[in-house]
Amino acid sequence: MTRTPQITTNVYYHDGVVRFLVICAMVWAVLGMGAGVYVAAELIWPEIDFGQFWLSFGRLRALHTNAVIFGFGVSALMATAFYSVQRTCHVPLPTLRLAWVTAMLWQVCILTGGLSLLAGMNTGKEYAELEWPFDIAIAIVWISFGVVFFATIARRRIKPIYISNWFYGGLIIVIAMLHVVNSLAMPATLFKSYPVYAGAQDAIVQWWYGHNAVGFLLTGGFLGMLYYFLPKQADRPIWSYKLSVVAFWSFTYAYIWAGPHHLHYNSIPDWVQNLGMVMSLILLAPSWATMINGIMTVSGAWEKLRTDPALKFIVLSLAFYGLATFEGPMMAIKSVNAVSHFTDWTIGHVHSGALGWNALIVFGTFYYLVPKLVDAKLYSVHLANVHFWLALAGTMLYVLSMWGAGVSQGLLWLSLDEIGEPSFSFKDIMASMPPYYLLRLVGGLTFYLGTLLMIFNLVMTMKGRATVRIRPPEVTVSGEAQ
Amino acid sequence: MNNQTSNVSPLVLKVLFRPREAFEDLARAEPSPYRVFFRYLIWFALLPPLFAYIGGSRYGWDLGAANPLILAETELRVVSALYYVVLLTAFVSTAFASQWMSETYGARKSLGVHMAMVTILAVPVTVGSAVHLYPHVFVNLLVFIPVLIWVIYLLYVGLPVALNINQERGMLMASSLVGWLLVGFVTLLGVTVVLWTNGLGPSIGA
Repeated sequence: MTRTPQITTNVYYHDGVVRFLVICAMVWAVLGMGAGVYVAAELIWPEIDFGQFWLSFGRLRALHTNAVIFGFGVSALMATAFYSVQRTCHVPLPTLRLAWVTAMLWQVCILTGGLSLLAGMNTGKEYAELEWPFDIAIAIVWISFGVVFFATIARRRIKPIYISNWFYGGLIIVIAMLHVVNSLAMPATLFKSYPVYAGAQDAIVQWWYGHNAVGFLLTGGFLGMLYYFLPKQADRPIWSYKLSVVAFWSFTYAYIWAGPHHLHYNSIPDWVQNLGMVMSLILLAPSWATMINGIMTVSGAWEKLRTDPALKFIVLSLAFYGLATFEGPMMAIKSVNAVSHFTDWTIGHVHSGALGWNALIVFGTFYYLVPKLVDAKLYSVHLANVHFWLALAGTMLYVLSMWGAGVSQGLLWLSLDEIGEPSFSFKDIMASMPPYYLLRLVGGLTFYLGTLLMIFNLVMTMKGRATVRIRPPEVTVSGEAQ
Repeated sequence: MNNQTSNVSPLVLKVLFRPREAFEDLARAEPSPYRVFFRYLIWFALLPPLFAYIGGSRYGWDLGAANPLILAETELRVVSALYYVVLLTAFVSTAFASQWMSETYGARKSLGVHMAMVTILAVPVTVGSAVHLYPHVFVNLLVFIPVLIWVIYLLYVGLPVALNINQERGMLMASSLVGWLLVGFVTLLGVTVVLWTNGLGPSIGA
C-alpha cells in the first residue's frame, strides 16, 4: 500500500477505548450471567420472584440473554475489533471521538433496553425483544461502529486485509442488515409496536434474523477474535491462510440460508424447511475448516502453554466450538429436531456454544489482552488455572444435565396412548425436571464463580496502572513511514 | 500391559486406585492391539450392557414422569446387544483417532499403546455402569457426570505419560480427544433419535 496516513508526532494506537469496553464486558458478565443463574434457580423454586413482575422468569430471562449477548459479547467484540483492526492496519483509529461515542452509547442502549425489558416492554421476538425506540438507537450506534471500523480499514498501511477483519466486517454488515430488516415495525405507542410482516412471514424473517445473529455475531464475530488473538498468543501464523479465506466465504454463503431449521414442522412451506436443513448440514464444512485451522495453528505452539494460561482457554474453546457446530447441523435434521425441539436439549446446545465457545474464547483473549494493555504480568496465573477447571466443569455439568433433561422430555412428549393422545401431560413431565435443573444450576454457579475469579484477577492486574501507549510499527516521530 | 498387569483384576484395581502407575506401566510396555482387545476391551465393554439388561428387565427404565418403561424381553436383548456394539465401536474408533492424532503431536504411534490407553480410560466407565442396575435416568446421570469428569482428568494426566510426550503437547492432544469424544457422543445421541423417530426402538406409554 503506497498510501501514507497523516502522521503527526503523536501517533499511538487508541487503546483507552479498548480498556473501557473490556471493563464494560466484565460488568455485563457479572449482571448477565448472574441473571442467568437466578432464572435457573427460578425454574426450581418459582417463588423466588417474590411476586414481583420484574423478577419473574419471563422478564429476567430476556434480560439474561440480552445482557450476555449484546452486553458482554458485543462489548468484547467491539473491544477486540478496535484493538486488532489498528494493529492489522498499522494505523490508529482515525475517528477516536466516534469510537468513544459508539462504545458509550452502546452501553446506554443495553442498560436502558435491559431496564425496559424488566418493565415488561417486549416485542416478543427472541433475541430482538427491545422495542422500536431502542431498535433505532441500536441501528445508529451499530452504523457508527461500522464507520469507525471501516474508516480504519480504508486508511490501512498494509495492502491485504487480514482475515480477522473480514470476519469483523462481516459481523458489522450482516448484523446491521438483519437488525434493520427484522425490526421493521409500525409503532402504536412509544413502547409498543407491531411488525410489518404477518404470520408465517414474520416467523421466517425473525428466524432469518435469529439464526444469523448466532451465525455472524456469536460465530463469525468471535472467529474474528480467534483469527487475531490465536496466532498472536501462539506466536506463529495461521496454519493455512488460504483455508481461512475459503472458510470465510463458504461460511458467509451457507449460513444465511439456515434460519428455517428453527421452524421445522411449523406452518411454513415444507421446501423452506428442507432448504434450511440442507444448508445447515453444508455449514458443517466451513465451521470445521476453521476448527482444524485453529487446532493445527496451536498444535505447533505447545511451548507457549508453559507460560501462557490464556492459551488453554482458547484450546478448550475450539473443542466446544467443534461440538456446538456439529450438534447444530445435526439438530437441524428434521427427524432429530422432531425430538429435540421444545426440549432442554436446545438450551444445552446453545450453552455448549455460549459457555464453551464464546465465553471461553473471551476469557482466553482477556487474559492475554489485559496484561498487554497495562504492560504488566497477570496478577495470578494460579487463579487463571483454577478458573480454567471451573469453566470446564461448569460447562460439562450444564450440557450433560440438559442432554439428560432434553432427551427425557423428547421421549415423553412424543409418546402416545392407544387412542393417539399424548400419554403424559406437559405438567407431569415438567414436574419431574427439578433434579436436572438443580444440576444445571450447580453447573451455572460453578461457571459463574470462575468468571468472578477472572474479573478479580483482571481488575487486580489493571489496578493503579495506566493504559500503555503503543506506536504503530514503522512510524517515526518525524512522521515518515519507513 | 506388562506382566504385572496381565490379569484383569489387578489392572482394574490399579486404574482405580493408582492410575498414574497404570499409565507409567503402559509407558514402558509395547502391547499388541489384538491382545489388548481380546483380553481386556471386549470383556470390559460387556459389563455396561449386562448391567443395563439386568436393571432393565428387573425394574424397567424410569424417565421421571412416567411409570418405569418395561421393554419386552426380545427388545431388551436387541437394545443391550446394540449397546455392546456401540461401546466397542466407540473404544476402538477412539484408539484409531488417538493413533491418527499422534502424528501431529509427536506421540508414540503403535496402535496397541492407544488401544491400551483407551482401555485404562474405559475402566471407570465400566465400573460406574453398575448404576445401570438401578435404571433411573437421573440417578444414572448423577453417577456418570463425576465418572466422565474423572475420565477426562485421567486423560489429561495420563496421556502425556503413556504416549511419552511433554505435558503441553499432551494437553493439546487430550483436548483434541475430548473434542472427538464429545462429537462422538452427540452423534450417537443423534443417530439414536433418528432411528427412534423412524419407528425403530421402544415405544413408550402405549
